[in-house]
Amino acid sequence: MSVESIIEAAKQSIIDIDEEKAASVARQALEEGLNPVQVLTEGYSAGIREVGELFSRGEVFLPELILSAEAMKAATEILESAITGAAAEKIGKMIFATVEGDVHDIGKSIAIALIQTQGVEVIDLGRDVPVDKIIEAAEEHGARVIGTSALLTTTMPNQEKLEKALRERGLRDKYKTIIGGAPCTQRWADKIGADAYAEDAGEGVTKVLELMKA
Amino acid sequence: MSEFFTRMGDGAGVYMTAEEIREDILKGVKDAADRGKVPELTQEEMDYLYQIITMPGNIVGVERGREVVSTSDSGSCKITYHANIAMERSMAVLVSEKVLGADSVDIGNMDYSYKAVKQIVHNETPVMELAQLNAVMPVLYGSMPNLGLYTKPDGPVENWSELLPLAKISEARAAQEEAVEHAVRDIVFVAGEMYEAGADGINLDTCGASGDADFLAGLLATEKIKEKYPDLGVEFGAAGEFVLGMHGKLEYDGTKIAGLYPHKQVKLAEKAGANIFGAVVNTNTNMSFPWNIARTVTFLKACTAVATIPVHVNVGMGVGGIPMSEIPPIDVVTRADKALIEIGKADGL
Repeated sequence: MSVESIIEAAKQSIIDIDEEKAASVARQALEEGLNPVQVLTEGYSAGIREVGELFSRGEVFLPELILSAEAMKAATEILESAITGAAAEKIGKMIFATVEGDVHDIGKSIAIALIQTQGVEVIDLGRDVPVDKIIEAAEEHGARVIGTSALLTTTMPNQEKLEKALRERGLRDKYKTIIGGAPCTQRWADKIGADAYAEDAGEGVTKVLELMKA
Repeated sequence: MSEFFTRMGDGAGVYMTAEEIREDILKGVKDAADRGKVPELTQEEMDYLYQIITMPGNIVGVERGREVVSTSDSGSCKITYHANIAMERSMAVLVSEKVLGADSVDIGNMDYSYKAVKQIVHNETPVMELAQLNAVMPVLYGSMPNLGLYTKPDGPVENWSELLPLAKISEARAAQEEAVEHAVRDIVFVAGEMYEAGADGINLDTCGASGDADFLAGLLATEKIKEKYPDLGVEFGAAGEFVLGMHGKLEYDGTKIAGLYPHKQVKLAEKAGANIFGAVVNTNTNMSFPWNIARTVTFLKACTAVATIPVHVNVGMGVGGIPMSEIPPIDVVTRADKALIEIGKADGL
């Protein structure tokens, strides 16, 4: 098979939610000496982004999205072994929480499911999480990125509170912060001093990977 | 080049040129038509929408004779928590009617969920009775199906939000199906008590907030309420512009519920026996008001075109073209209202 057809098969296996095919394409890619990073980014990651887009349009549903992420995980494990030559290593740790006073976590769960497929270890603190607990967890786990979600205009100020608390404790430069949730915007991120804003789960994946490299 | 003041979806003020506004209107229309697979607005309608957006004056109004009714979900609480004026709920109903000019409101509890309300329904019925004695307008009782409250540790069924990330799909689906049964029972129980207290109707607010199972619970409860209490009106309000597929396979009357947009949601509400459908279109905080309202009107027009029951579109913070800010700016609220009524053919707000 050509490089293009293997990459297309990798992408399609995720869209078709075919875990077995995703794994077999990954093995075939390695046998034929393809660059695993290319297969991962142009094939599987493109597939999961497309599934994410279909989900945001109501054409694919949460169970399918989760199963697609599982198929991606199976392929990623095979490719990562080849990339590192050993057991797959995570590219970094991230703390993720819905801020205090806010109990909405569907969006956060979707974002986490997708981010995890990219080799990021995500520590999910759940919902209604106070700022102090978020910072403690980041320190404890040695996280690089802190992500917070807020679905309410009344709970958004807790994202600003996190930024202030990090500055007051002299920890602001130690972490990269990313915010999301329906009422959040890039303007809000700029105003409070967050490092990044993501409109949806798909963009969250891209932004988190950028922050991990920064 | 002259510019017009308008808003972004998060309420931020912005100046746009005529060309930018027209471009955003077109993009919003096309986005709705593409996602919902519904017809685009005509050029004439888009031109009129442009006129509404750029009309001088801080507020605008509908043409004489095109006024529609207005209602307010959890209306009896809103004076208290929006205006910060502590007021007993039956009193708030009267203020809504006689001072604010509401055509109907619903009485709701602060814990705005049928599961929470069933425990205290004996405290809720006297409020309804008192309001019915004094108000002329229809007074409904409202709450959300809120299926998430039936999951552990708050309720009896397994938590699908925990099961789904573990890829335990069948277990997550079974939990949702079980929760539907509990929710329907609670909704019908509260509806019965409110019927006895003289309620004019039941508002099933935000059906689908926990996904397609939540929406199904609303439909099944509507069916049972209409069987038991044919005179009791049911307002069936949606939660979003499409039904989120948390389960993904649930059907009602042979139609898969997940992914349905307003023009298809309303048909299921009709089949279940609802008297009013509350259509919802979400506001995108990153896009402009012209984009958001054009999109909303496109979805709504398709919905009202097929509906055989009145459609009362949700026009509040973060829905119906209204920015997602704590105090919706009046300069865009009245423009949204006018567009939804005159172009979208809303029967009520």
